[in-house]
Amino acid sequence: MKIYQVTVKDIRRRRRRALYTALGVAIGIAAFIAVLTIARAGEERIYREMDKYGPNLMVMPAIHDVDLQLGDLTLGTLAVGDNYIAEDKLLEIRQITDGAIREALGIAGDEDIATIAPKLYITTAVKGTAVMVVGFEPEQERLIKSWWTISDGRYPEQQDEAILGARASAALDVDLGDNISIKEQEVTVVGILDETGSNDDYQVFVPLATVQRAFEKEGLISSADIRALCSSCPVESIADLVNDAIPGVRAVAVKQIAQTEMNLMAKVNRFMLALAGITLVVGSFGVVNTMMSSVHQRVKDIGIMKAVGASRLQIVTMFLYEALVVGLMGGILGYIAGTFLSYVIGPLIYEDLAVSYVLQYFLPALALAILVAVMASVYPAFRASKVSVADSLRSL
Amino acid sequence: MLEVRSVSKTYGEGAARVVALNNISLRVDDGDFVVITGPSGSGKSTLLNVIGGLERVSSGEVILDGVRIDNLKENDLVHIRRRKVAYVFQQYHLLPSLTALENVLLPLTFCGLKKDDVRKATELLQKVGLEKRAEHKPNELSGGEQQRVAIARALVNRCSLILADEPTGNVDQETGEGILKLFQKMNEDGHTIIMVTHNLDIAKHAKRIVALRDGGIVDEVSQGDQGL
Repeated sequence: MKIYQVTVKDIRRRRRRALYTALGVAIGIAAFIAVLTIARAGEERIYREMDKYGPNLMVMPAIHDVDLQLGDLTLGTLAVGDNYIAEDKLLEIRQITDGAIREALGIAGDEDIATIAPKLYITTAVKGTAVMVVGFEPEQERLIKSWWTISDGRYPEQQDEAILGARASAALDVDLGDNISIKEQEVTVVGILDETGSNDDYQVFVPLATVQRAFEKEGLISSADIRALCSSCPVESIADLVNDAIPGVRAVAVKQIAQTEMNLMAKVNRFMLALAGITLVVGSFGVVNTMMSSVHQRVKDIGIMKAVGASRLQIVTMFLYEALVVGLMGGILGYIAGTFLSYVIGPLIYEDLAVSYVLQYFLPALALAILVAVMASVYPAFRASKVSVADSLRSL
Repeated sequence: MLEVRSVSKTYGEGAARVVALNNISLRVDDGDFVVITGPSGSGKSTLLNVIGGLERVSSGEVILDGVRIDNLKENDLVHIRRRKVAYVFQQYHLLPSLTALENVLLPLTFCGLKKDDVRKATELLQKVGLEKRAEHKPNELSGGEQQRVAIARALVNRCSLILADEPTGNVDQETGEGILKLFQKMNEDGHTIIMVTHNLDIAKHAKRIVALRDGGIVDEVSQGDQGL
């Protein structure tokens, strides 16, 4: 027989009492898990919202407006610089962006991470109407504009296929399967976009290479949208890096509207975490309390064990084993209760919040519960070890 | 060999001061069977506790096998309880959550002696006639059975000195005689026994009787004498 078995048998006999003690831990843990689970669900929702706002970064040609002055006379401004970026600069931009993301996330590898969607904007006449023709990479664009849906047809797969914004389709009176000519290039309309409420509605999207060839802009693009894979990636510093490293290019971090919402949520979460912390502290006092009364109840047992040769250390060990069991039970109960709680109160705190349980919180919850239970048991265990054999046995 | 030299024990202070033991000296040789008897409050249980190191003396010395144990630290007393002195209590004092067998195993558990522990404990339960009750918890055993479990527990560590405080105090006379026979058997096997009782019938089984009154020894009789 081992010492821990003596403890386990004792706990089994006093199951209800152990459960009560565990509940003290569980309440605190549950509060923590609930807050963390809700906070995570809230964050995920904001990240999803952020995704809707599109790219994290835009890369454009660096154009300087120079004021033309003659003495006191202002003659107007002159735009200096190219209207296009050389396509091969995208490679450098990718290296910088992916490098920064890898550093931020602490990962290795050399596969592409960021999505880069280059575009070439040309205004031209299609069927006698001036429209914006956008040369684009269908696959990349689709990743960046995740809200795009094709109401009719499909994405372009061939170089001579195009998709149209809903408004453009109506204005040009072009339908699925029609051919239109972009300058001298014939393309077939294979898809119509749903309305997005943005400029996209008025544009004609044709594969980049086709547009470049048609307008003799081979190797040139107007801009590129970049989306880092991660919502927490350092877009501002990536923009700075790109601006410093590549001349003739201006990278801009797209300010996220959701950032304010994120800040607000962080505040609410801090408040709730503080509450959860207080709950945990109060809970651990409860554990101290029940462990102390457990010591009092078992004064006789402790006396017996000491009389048959238990050392003080062994008595302390037995109580810490008990704390371990209590912590384990409290952790499991707390995790389950906290998750359940988050499903109930999450939607009350953030409207329509889709809460989902977070399995990664289970082990930390268990560890925290055990830590609290053990910490709360140290003093009672110490007291237990000081029980005098003669006194404990006489008192009965 | 156990020697008690001029031991006094007082409880409380001032007006509430109670003298439990008053300058007692006693010598118990190995293999002896001593019964300490006397009326309630005569200090016999206190004497037993002092001998076993369960209670501190106020003055005097307790020497067990040539070593002073009255001033030992808690950690050294643990060693004494594991190797030298075992107890049998009036109230049996078994752990309610453990079976009879596990209660017997308990001292070995604390010693860290795990080799053959179950076999040793089972043999001892056989010796006290309880092998069939090994898996029963104390609340499923009669008083006499519980006391026999406690005796088996006292024997498992092979301590030479067994201290018993009214071991038959809670059982009927017939059961008490059975338990007393066990003590006699233990004594024949070489254990030194010091037993506290106020029952003079039991006292007659001992090799030596020490009578206490008001914390002092009033009479000492060896077996065969007709003094009591």
